[in-house]
Amino acid sequence: MLLAVLFANSDGNILIERFHGVPAEERLHWRSFLIKLGAENLKGAKNEELFVASHKSVYIVYTMLGDICIYVVGKDEYDELALAEAIFAITSCVKDVCGKPPSERLFLDKYGKICLSLDEIVWQGMLENTEKDRVKRLIRMKPPTDV
Amino acid sequence: MASGQDSGTTLMDLITSDPSAAAPNSSPAAAPSTLGKPVNADRKHKKVTLSQIQSDTISAAKALNPAKVLPQKQRRKNPVSYAQLARSIHEFAATADQKSSQKKLVHHVFPKLAVYNSVDPSLAPSLLMLHQQCEDRNVLRYVYYYLARILADSGAQGLSAAGGIPTPNWDALADIDAVGGVTTADVVPRIVGQLSSEALNTEVEFHARRLAALKSLSSASSRSSDILDKLYEIVFGILEKVGDAKQKRKKGIFNRPGGDKESNIQNNLQYAAISALRRLPLDPGNPLFLHRAIQGTSFTDPVAVRHSLAIISDIAMRDPYSVAMALGKLAQPGGALQDILHLHDVLARVSLARLCYMISRARSLDERPDIKSQFNSILYQLLLDPSDRVCFEAILCVLGKFDSTERTEERAAGWIRLTREILKLPEAPSVMSKDKSEDGLPPKPIKEKAAKIRRPQPLIKLVMRRLESSFRSFSRPVLHASARVVQEMGKSRAAAYALGAYDTDEGTQLNTYSEYVDFVDSDQLEGLQPEASRKASSLLNGTGGKDTIASLLASLMEVVRTTVACECVYVRGMVVKALIWMQNPHESFEELRSIIASELSDPAWPSALLNDILLTLHARYKATPDMAVTLLEIARIFATKVPGKIDADVLQLLWKTCLVGAGPEGKHTALEAVTIVLDLPPPQPGSMSELTSVDGVSASDPKSALALQRLVQAAVWFLGENANYAASEYAWESATPPGTALMMLDADKMVTAASSRNPTLAGALTRLQRCAFSGSWEVRIVAVHSLITLAIRSGEPYRLQIYEFLHALAQGGVQSQFSEMKISNGEDQGASGTGLGSLISPMLRVLDEMYRAQDELMKDIRNHDNQKQEWTDEELKKLYETHEKLLDLVSLFCFVPRTKYLPIGPTSAKLIEIYRNRHNISASSGLNDPAVATGISDLVYESKPPPLEKTNSIDPDLAMAWAANLGDGMWESNAPAMDRVNEFLAGAGTDAPDVEEENITSQPSATYDDMWAKTLLETYEAEEDDAKSSGTSSPESTGSIESSISSHFSGLGYPSLFSSRPSGYGVSQQPENKPAAGSRFSNNSYGGSSLEGTSSPIREEPPPYSSPLQRYESFENPLASQSFGSTNDDGNASDNPRFGKALYDFTAGGDDELSLDAGEQVEIEDEVDGWYYVKKRRPGRDGKMAGLVPVLYVNSS
Repeated sequence: MLLAVLFANSDGNILIERFHGVPAEERLHWRSFLIKLGAENLKGAKNEELFVASHKSVYIVYTMLGDICIYVVGKDEYDELALAEAIFAITSCVKDVCGKPPSERLFLDKYGKICLSLDEIVWQGMLENTEKDRVKRLIRMKPPTDV
Repeated sequence: MASGQDSGTTLMDLITSDPSAAAPNSSPAAAPSTLGKPVNADRKHKKVTLSQIQSDTISAAKALNPAKVLPQKQRRKNPVSYAQLARSIHEFAATADQKSSQKKLVHHVFPKLAVYNSVDPSLAPSLLMLHQQCEDRNVLRYVYYYLARILADSGAQGLSAAGGIPTPNWDALADIDAVGGVTTADVVPRIVGQLSSEALNTEVEFHARRLAALKSLSSASSRSSDILDKLYEIVFGILEKVGDAKQKRKKGIFNRPGGDKESNIQNNLQYAAISALRRLPLDPGNPLFLHRAIQGTSFTDPVAVRHSLAIISDIAMRDPYSVAMALGKLAQPGGALQDILHLHDVLARVSLARLCYMISRARSLDERPDIKSQFNSILYQLLLDPSDRVCFEAILCVLGKFDSTERTEERAAGWIRLTREILKLPEAPSVMSKDKSEDGLPPKPIKEKAAKIRRPQPLIKLVMRRLESSFRSFSRPVLHASARVVQEMGKSRAAAYALGAYDTDEGTQLNTYSEYVDFVDSDQLEGLQPEASRKASSLLNGTGGKDTIASLLASLMEVVRTTVACECVYVRGMVVKALIWMQNPHESFEELRSIIASELSDPAWPSALLNDILLTLHARYKATPDMAVTLLEIARIFATKVPGKIDADVLQLLWKTCLVGAGPEGKHTALEAVTIVLDLPPPQPGSMSELTSVDGVSASDPKSALALQRLVQAAVWFLGENANYAASEYAWESATPPGTALMMLDADKMVTAASSRNPTLAGALTRLQRCAFSGSWEVRIVAVHSLITLAIRSGEPYRLQIYEFLHALAQGGVQSQFSEMKISNGEDQGASGTGLGSLISPMLRVLDEMYRAQDELMKDIRNHDNQKQEWTDEELKKLYETHEKLLDLVSLFCFVPRTKYLPIGPTSAKLIEIYRNRHNISASSGLNDPAVATGISDLVYESKPPPLEKTNSIDPDLAMAWAANLGDGMWESNAPAMDRVNEFLAGAGTDAPDVEEENITSQPSATYDDMWAKTLLETYEAEEDDAKSSGTSSPESTGSIESSISSHFSGLGYPSLFSSRPSGYGVSQQPENKPAAGSRFSNNSYGGSSLEGTSSPIREEPPPYSSPLQRYESFENPLASQSFGSTNDDGNASDNPRFGKALYDFTAGGDDELSLDAGEQVEIEDEVDGWYYVKKRRPGRDGKMAGLVPVLYVNSS
């Protein structure tokens, strides 16, 4: 289960969050935990350099893309490596939508499309589409294979 | 990127522009390409220039004055609130056919709406209208997105009538809800209806919408069974038409761009349907469900294949047999499953590995070794997968790790599999490799491609090489995952050792192993591939000298150890766990110890991770009880290095379990490992010199200093409670008659005798004595308590030794003896030297009474012997009453087994037995049995109950361990630490992590509000004043949970082999009397009934001791208060006022304090936290009659 995807700016403000299977009362803890992780480790990180953490049987992979911190949380089959796949799909789509590793401003400019892309990549707690071209098609309401 | 034309929109536009205002002139590039087919080159060009202009402007503005830019700009714009967005949607929905409306929706309204975590149902009618009338793809895509979100907001967390989900933006939504009055229940049927009919629409022009509708619909799967049925119907309907891919496949496969229209449509529908099916609840009993899923493995779309495999492996978990049967030929060479080995989708191959694992291990398929070996062979081939994710999954499957519920046997078999089996894999995709150990069938290459044939490889070697190369990776996730795989290897290995299935040493394993390989080679491969065989054996025996499992493991572990240098603390944590698991009981653990010691000196370790490792120690112990002493030594490092960061409950539970597990010969070492912390010099403030030394205590900050002190307290308590167990020395088993000890009153002789007889106990005693002097006030109190526990439970000469010590302590006389050990902590210790007088005197009285009773008994026995008299019933009764009274008294201080404990000494046993038998008193209930108390038992003398005397046959260790709720039962107890351990062992734990209070730089979502709801979405006029509070957040930490340490000493007490909550008192103990343990021991008098029995008298009758002891009544109920006497202020104190004498002059420092002159008589009313509330007969210097004085200043009589 892909429990959470979270985007934050470098100040720790959450820009997008998608939880699945995380009780509402735990989300606050997750937010703080992830933001704290990022604050401690992401400073000066290279673009798309992957970081890892775990808590009990839950895995966390996070990275920095432009000014944006991206966190994914998963368990079971979504272990560190599967999450790395997921985060790769996410970063490549964000880069694609924004044209480059986004500044916070650019990210907010593309906010709607990023949400739509995310909806194609992570859907109900599962990784769905990972190819950026396919995601690009889907957010334009085009079928995965052209008809 | 059709809607990506909004590059002209700036952040301000996005955040603040009102869509109902004039159309944004800044987005000329947003060509109204409703069909989403803009000219690419043109667009790109514009985008670049525009975004450049945009960023230039922004940076210029920022440079001017970053703080003021936003508000100034905003003032010109209207704010955008959720309500406004909602209104805009309603408005534009009405004019959905106009391009300008569509544009505003796509560029302004919908993106901003996405900021909100949920969408309220009142938007649904407008969205549905757009869905029906609008044809713009970009608008439609958003419409599907929001409809799906409305459907997904299930009742559990969604916008119920009572309110919305507690998102940061809930306030904004709450308003809307109040206004809208539309509930989810109203709109969902309409949405589902509209989407369903679309999902069933087979017209080609609706193809894309059909797929999108299906996707949105699947969000509704958890809503109601009606909707679910409908969803199944739709999905199965589609799959029925397109699911049979057999004939289409040939044309369409790997041919996407040029595929014909029909097959493309089919592919898309296959994908959409199987993807929706994956979101629907599993229907394991339904053959159609399985059938459709299995069809999915042959689909062209890789994502569809991934989903169908995931579904199949989920079903296989419950019913491997049907899945295997249904898969049939697909698993065979040339089948679809073999193709998936090369499918470009990692998660599909992961699911394949799981599927293969489940089928190849299924018991229900035991009669079909052919099927099992087919799947096994696929699984082994996945070990060669280029993706680490897949390879690691395959390794875990081979190791028998699937979820956390595997049995030990399965894990053990996994290790044996890994170490013994051979992968023979000719590189042809459809050549099947057979494993001899499984079925003895020779491999049958079907399509032998002569090109490249890999030589057979032992699995272990493959795996080791793969792991070693993974450990050289720079990717942290890969390192973490590799370490985790090694940890799982350790678990399987431990299981193999534990079951004895793997009793041969890994060094000598070489021979059998090589022989085995040779055997396999010669037997199976010689004729077939002589060269490969020769190479394989030379590889095994020749080239690298000796490749034993031990040497392979050693070289792997070398790499693992170097990974500890990784800067990521989580990777290091996983490495440490892996090392702990790979540690074997009889190897030297020096290396591990020094690694952990130096690791723990790094302040970067978060406490959650440290506790995880502590729990790993528990798990390791569970797997291999032989490791007890090793693990205790490791745990000690935690205790001394990071006392402030670890969960002391869990640590103490570990002490306790390991002590029991250490076995007779290890108990001494185990106790040492726990309590050696008491011998260590206290941390010197500011000194960081001993950071890496194991034998130094480090407590660099006040918090950890406090935690360390608590830990020391706990260790002292633990020592007191468990020393007797560790030393196997119990008064009730002591052979030494009391008289002997009385003759050894010479202290030196006594000490010599004591240490020669039982060094463990003597050592414990010395430690406790030292703690009674040198520790802090709290530690001294605990130490004295531990001493009395020891005195009561131990035979002579220990009891006498402690008696003497306590006596001296109370008088203040021993101080000089121990002065060289004394480390001043700056406290004034009072005239008695310790300030413990009030605490000690009741203890001394108990011992006094016991010795007096023993003396008298000796005398009486001598008298009776001399006069050759029988004991009369009256005399026996008196003796028995004394016995009972003393038992009650003793039980106030610590738990003793009432049936066995003989406060008057071993010699009294016979007489008491006589009296009990004569009066039909059961040993467990004693005089307090109402039948005995009222004499009824005498009347019903004949119906003597069957004797409960099986106790004697029980191994005392076992009995004591049981008394302490150890063994299996322990794991069911409800103590929080046990919960934590159990949860960990069960692999549970997805709950959110606690975030420590300090260093939180995060801005929890309160600031999300600030940012979005206020700063960005609302008017800036109002915001200007708050500007300073918006950027950086309020510091209150939302997630901060105070470490549980503060609670450790309040109620739950310490682990003791006699149970921290003495079972003898029955205080809330009985409900958790384990059924398992209960039944196992139901026949012996240690059983629950006896303990229960003893509980009642204690609770109901006041102890015979009068006033001075009254304040110790709280010991009756240690659960309620483990306050060590210092914080006792039970109500009884005021009933029986105590008197005391001021020892020194005391000058009141506060309003409620009272000045005292030395020698003044006071009446002590109350005691709170080291202060007495006292009254004087006449006003003193300060003119006051009553007030607080420090306990130490008053000698209570």
